[in-house]
Formats: sequence, C-alpha cells, structure tokens
Amino acid sequence: MNGQARALIESMPNDIGTEAVGPLSFDEAFTLHHRAVFRTARAVVRDSALAEDVTQEVFLRLYRNLNSTPGEDLLRAWLLRVTLNVARNTLRGQSRSMVRDNEYHKSTSETGFFVDAPEEDFERRQAIEEARRALDKIKEPMRSCLLLKQQGLSYREIAISLSLKETNIGSLVARGRKEFARVYGKIGGKR
Amino acid sequence: MTRCLDEGKLQSYFDGELPIDVMESVTSHLASCAACAAAARELEEESALLTTAFAAEFEASVPTERLRQRIDEAVLGDRVAYAQSSQKSGGLAAFFSGLLNFGTQRALGYASLAIVLAIAGIFAIVKMRTTSELANTAVNTTVPAPAPAPAASNQTNNTVAQATEKTSQPVPETVKLPVTVRPSHNNGVPAVAVKYTPAAPKPTPIKLLPGERSYLQTIAKLDSTIKSNKNSMRPALQVEYERNLAVVDRTIAATRSAAKSNPNDPDAADFMFAAYQSKVDLLNTIADARVGGGRGH
Repeated sequence: MNGQARALIESMPNDIGTEAVGPLSFDEAFTLHHRAVFRTARAVVRDSALAEDVTQEVFLRLYRNLNSTPGEDLLRAWLLRVTLNVARNTLRGQSRSMVRDNEYHKSTSETGFFVDAPEEDFERRQAIEEARRALDKIKEPMRSCLLLKQQGLSYREIAISLSLKETNIGSLVARGRKEFARVYGKIGGKR
Repeated sequence: MTRCLDEGKLQSYFDGELPIDVMESVTSHLASCAACAAAARELEEESALLTTAFAAEFEASVPTERLRQRIDEAVLGDRVAYAQSSQKSGGLAAFFSGLLNFGTQRALGYASLAIVLAIAGIFAIVKMRTTSELANTAVNTTVPAPAPAPAASNQTNNTVAQATEKTSQPVPETVKLPVTVRPSHNNGVPAVAVKYTPAAPKPTPIKLLPGERSYLQTIAKLDSTIKSNKNSMRPALQVEYERNLAVVDRTIAATRSAAKSNPNDPDAADFMFAAYQSKVDLLNTIADARVGGGRGH
C-alpha cells in the first residue's frame, strides 16, 4: 500500500473502523468465528481456495454492516447464513475442481498450512470425500441442518441461519442424520 | 405410560434443546419404554458416526493467518475506496449542501454574520453620505456665478472628449479634467455649467486614477452624441435628465475624492467606478430616448 492510501486512512474518522459488533469487535468476531465460516464454506464449495474467497467476502460484509449485524449471541448464525448464501452463489459461478483443490493443498503445504505426512493427508482426504459424497445425497434443508449442527450451532442459530422454524430443527436433524447414516454406510464409510 | 417420543423430540433431547421439565419427562419415558430406548441407542450410534465422518472435514486445518491477512487487506481496500469516494463526493456539492444544512449553531452563525454585514452596510452608507455632503459643500463653495451659456457647456464637453481622446496613447501622467456639475434647470433655460475645476488662470492638473480613462471617454462620446442630436428633449425628460445628471456628477465627485485620498482602498475605487457606470447608464438611456423621440418627429 502506498503512502497516499495510508494517509487517507489515517485521516479518516474512527466511526468506520473495526470497533463494535454489539459487544464484539470485528477482530474478536474474526477470531471466534472464522473457523466455522471457513469450514462451512469449504463443506459447501468443496474447494479450499474458494472457501477462502467466501470467508473473505463474508467478513467483508460483516465489516460493511457493522451497525446492522446482530449481537454476540446471534452473530455466528448471521455469519453462517451469509456464508451459505455466498458459498452457494460462488458454487453457481464455479465448477468444482478437485484439481484446483489439489493444487491448493500443494501450495499451502509448501507454505506450512498442511504439515501432515502425505499418506496421512491422503487418508484424511479420502474420509472427507466420502463424507461429502454422503452429504450430497441428503436433501435440503436437512443437509444444511446437519452441517450446522455438526459445527455446534444451537437449534435457534440453525433456524436463523436457514430461515426455518426452530421447532422443526430437531426433526430435520433427525431425518438428516438417519439419511446420512444410511448413505454413508452404503458408500463404505461405516467401517 | 406416556406417549412414545417422536424422532424430533428425541433428537432435541440428545442435543439438549428441550426445556428442563420436558427433559425430565423424556428421561423417565426412556427408562420405561424399550422401543424409545432402542431408538435412542440408534440415535447415539448414528450421531457418533456423523461426528466421525465429519471429523476429517472439520479437523482439517484452517488457514487462519492467511485468512486474517486477506481480510485485513480487503477491509483496508474497502476503507481506501470509502475514503476516496468521500473525498470525491465531498467537493462543491458537499460544501453547498453543508451550507444549506441548518443546524442550531450554524443558524446562529448565519444570523451573526447577517448582523455584522448589516452594521457594516449602515456604516458604509453613513460614511458615503458624509463624504457626499462634504463634497457638495466643497463644490458649492467653488461654484462660480452661473454664467456660461449652453454653447460653452458643449464646448467644455467637447473639450473633455478631445482631451481624453488625445491622451489615449500614450497615457500621460496628468490631464486636465473639466468635470461639469449641472444643477437642474428648465427646458430652454441656459444650462448652468459649474466647473469642478473651473477655467482658472492656472487650471489644476488632475491625475486620472487607473481605469478612469475609459469611463471618461465613454461619457464624453455619449455626451457629444446627446448634444449633437438636434431634436429637443421633452421638457419633463429634460428636467429629469438634468436632475439625475447632477446627482450622478455629485456622486462621482465625492467618490473620486474618496478614491484619490484612499488609493489603496479597493472599495473606494469600486464606488467611484460604480458612480461612473451610473452616469454612463444615464447617458445611454437619454441617448436612446432622444433617438427614439427623434424618430417620432
């Protein structure tokens, strides 16, 4: 960044800074929720590089809507709702490519993000792929309910994220779980 | 025995999403209902399977540092774009909209400014009147007895024109400026030419102020045009013309002396030029009226 841009930023008022998200600051929001956002994005787009793009876009939207985002208790639900929307939109414009994901893993391994041994990495990637294939077979909104439930979201947060009734979440999770177990067993994941 | 649990309620029970009283009732039912207990065991197994299946997905490392770096850069870019757009939109439009945006403090500020301007205006008017009266007094004291005939007046004006035309290039330091101040008189009555710098044995050389020459040239030409037109002016117009001319000439004299005594005051020069302009306008009006009247004859 050049000096002019820095001077511009320094001369800017503080009210557009990364101050408050209800009781959380922007930095705190990132620290607490970026994993959930990235993992949800990656589970949907199946591509780590695209998941990074999605995560960046989600937090940029958070930054731009600091005054209208919910407080701490529902911030994760808001972030994952945005994540699912952005990820699905990204998916529409992108073709899923394992090649690209492989290249991403290769590049990130070189920079130290993936430090596992190659064979361990292969096994884990196989496991991930089996789970993703099973998840693909489950219809919406059960699939998203499962995904968010596995990330530790409460029924209320899931309901907000997916615009569903909170009282229906238990049934949707149960049906999704049964369907996943059935499909995952057929695929061979159930060992 | 209570009713058997549906899958949603059982799932909510395992996920800890039920109210405490409902949780207790479900616990007691599971203790007494074999079918529901079997369903609960199945649920536990499938949940464990789900956790295992997603473990690899969710345990895969998250590039925290890379994400932080990217987001910081994106936010920074957003802020730069915001600052630049603010700068662009903060030009004249923002300035004027800011002026029109009246808050309490701003309204008070405008009111104070208006009061200050009003006081300054009153002060300027009073000062101008005082100066004008002084000039009149001076003129009256130097006015010689009414005498020169209209022909003499014409001659005088022509002299002005000639003098100014002659001195147009190069600009001399001083020229003679016979300025006439005419009191009002009736039609047909010989005009009373009052010379501001009368034809004394030793006429006082008058130094022209910068920019004054062009006005004098214009006035001289207009005056000669009016005089050269033989059509007589209507009596009412003549009276009005003479009266207005006298007022304008007095104003010119007063403002000129003020401008001369305050050469560094741009306002004084402006007042003088405004007076000259008034005279030009008056002469133009009269010349037009006479031309129009002449056509009528």
